[in-house]
Amino acid sequence: MESLLEQSSLILQQLVNGITLGGVYALIAVGYTMVYGVIQLINFAHGEIYMLGAFLTFTMVTTLHLPFFVAILLTIMLCACFGIILDFVAYRPLRKAPRLAALITAIGMSLFLQNLALLIWGSQIKSYPREVLPAIFSKAAFSLGDVFISWIQVFILSVTVIAMFMLHIIIHKTKVGTAMRAVSQDKTTAALMGIAVNRVISFTFAIGSAMGAMAGIMVGLYYNAIFPHMGYMAGVKAFAAAVLGGIGSVPGAMLGGGVLGIAEVLGAGYLSSEYRDGISYAVMILVILFKPAGLIGKPLTEKV
Amino acid sequence: MQKIQNFIKSPKAKAVLICLVLVLPWLPLGGSTNYVLRILTTVVLYMCLALGLNIVPGFNGLLDLGYVGFYGIGAYTAGLLSIHYNMPFWVVVPLAAMNGALWGILLGTPTLRLTGDYFAIVTFGFSELVVLVIRNELWLTRGPMGLPGISPPSIFGHTFMYDWEYFYLALFMLMIVIVVVSRLQDSRIGRAWFAIREDDIAAQCSGVNLIKYKVTAFAISAAIGGMGGAFYAKWFRFIHPDMFKFWESILILCLVVLGGLGSITGTMLGALVLIPLSEILRMVLPQSMFNARYMIYGLVLVMMMRWRPDGLIPFVRDQENKALKIKNRILNTKAFQPAADKE
Repeated sequence: MESLLEQSSLILQQLVNGITLGGVYALIAVGYTMVYGVIQLINFAHGEIYMLGAFLTFTMVTTLHLPFFVAILLTIMLCACFGIILDFVAYRPLRKAPRLAALITAIGMSLFLQNLALLIWGSQIKSYPREVLPAIFSKAAFSLGDVFISWIQVFILSVTVIAMFMLHIIIHKTKVGTAMRAVSQDKTTAALMGIAVNRVISFTFAIGSAMGAMAGIMVGLYYNAIFPHMGYMAGVKAFAAAVLGGIGSVPGAMLGGGVLGIAEVLGAGYLSSEYRDGISYAVMILVILFKPAGLIGKPLTEKV
Repeated sequence: MQKIQNFIKSPKAKAVLICLVLVLPWLPLGGSTNYVLRILTTVVLYMCLALGLNIVPGFNGLLDLGYVGFYGIGAYTAGLLSIHYNMPFWVVVPLAAMNGALWGILLGTPTLRLTGDYFAIVTFGFSELVVLVIRNELWLTRGPMGLPGISPPSIFGHTFMYDWEYFYLALFMLMIVIVVVSRLQDSRIGRAWFAIREDDIAAQCSGVNLIKYKVTAFAISAAIGGMGGAFYAKWFRFIHPDMFKFWESILILCLVVLGGLGSITGTMLGALVLIPLSEILRMVLPQSMFNARYMIYGLVLVMMMRWRPDGLIPFVRDQENKALKIKNRILNTKAFQPAADKE
């Protein structure tokens, strides 16, 4: 009985960790899925925006000595602008080009940004200095029964929930959200209805990048590690989450992120920790092979 | 400018290239240092790899991000076979190529039904899984300790020792790959591939069996990757999981894109330009920053897609060349001369 209790509290602890991780994946996945929704492009460079988010905040708090929360806000805004610039410079000229060209450009941008960061910030792993963080983050974790939850986890979860809620409002209750949904259904018809398609696409990039930047900052906090290649792994996993939920679907991305985060933590805990990263690849490949529409996405049909 | 472009598109360019191939072998004897030779061997190896990759994105229009997976499979097949069974080079290389092709078929059969984006992602996941397996299955691959002590290739009892011998071996391999790829390009299979690249739905409606031809392409590409890996293992005589990371795929893709998707001469030119460039960067950049050279590859990919999506030497089908010639001939006949000439 005793050990059973211990076992269940361990699982609960893993679940909490998994949900935290899943929230972060969901935040990034939303960026992939929204961009895919409006221009049917896998934006490989999205992971790099997440990495830039972490680094920009780092620079702001260490070199410019801005307060932490001001730095976060500034970073989010900068990254949103950056997403727009990315679209403008790299993807917009290729709107009418073959899909292959846009995909290759996306990979090229990802590679370019990643190594630009390597040149600027160096390859050493950095972390936010303790003294600039709000005092609450260094406080001990609080516990519910045997389950420990750190304040950083609480912060991540609440930011994720708030961001998702706001995203939902934007997509479903505002004019620009309606325009986004229209563009994702049919670009030409949307343009005929008087929607400025390119502006909507820019807006989509901005929102996605802002969410990605948030995720980057929070992961930098959670793992205490910021490095130029962080966007690569996280990008892949978030993409797996987006695929799992059904690419193009925002609630799908949230669900996919949560499921993948939990699967990864439980898999690493109970199956094999060496293959921790392999779990998301395997999930992604299996979903693509057997249920390409994802958990709650609409089935894709090819238009002739 | 037009003339230059016409020349590049003409079969003469191929002739020039063949001459280059004939001349290059004599370079090593001309007193070049081992360092230069090693770079040249790398260039030739990457030419082979790029020609292999070219089959999938170039001929079929599908983005393959997992090419390095087959390269790694080939390298480890060759390494393990020659360590445990002491097999000679000439047996190991075909086996490695076949193992690559086998995995190509296994991966391709279910995934080539997917649309282009999903295919790209699945191949990417595959290559990452290959590296993970190599890294973690210590009983088989020794994981991060690498696989040292692979025996060097030998021919008629003579063991390869010098750099120039490896260079010739690589050239020999390149010749085979060029012959195979250019014969394929002009064959019935090649025509089917190009039809798929231009419009797969139209191709299907014309009776092209999409899956069959795509899987064939993927398997051949994987086999060439496996062969390249086997050569690499036998040449370097030490392999390590880190050598087969995802970025290697992107580098090879970059060679293909720079030269021209689908163009054989272009792909080789891409390798000839970018591999020495990376060596120059190795000298210029400090050790810790060496990976920043990928920034340039990224930039190459973006800029080529933006301004020259067909690459430095665009691919032109022979038929189109012929059609162009006939058109020019007709335009040059009297009937088409400007009216002013008559007076």
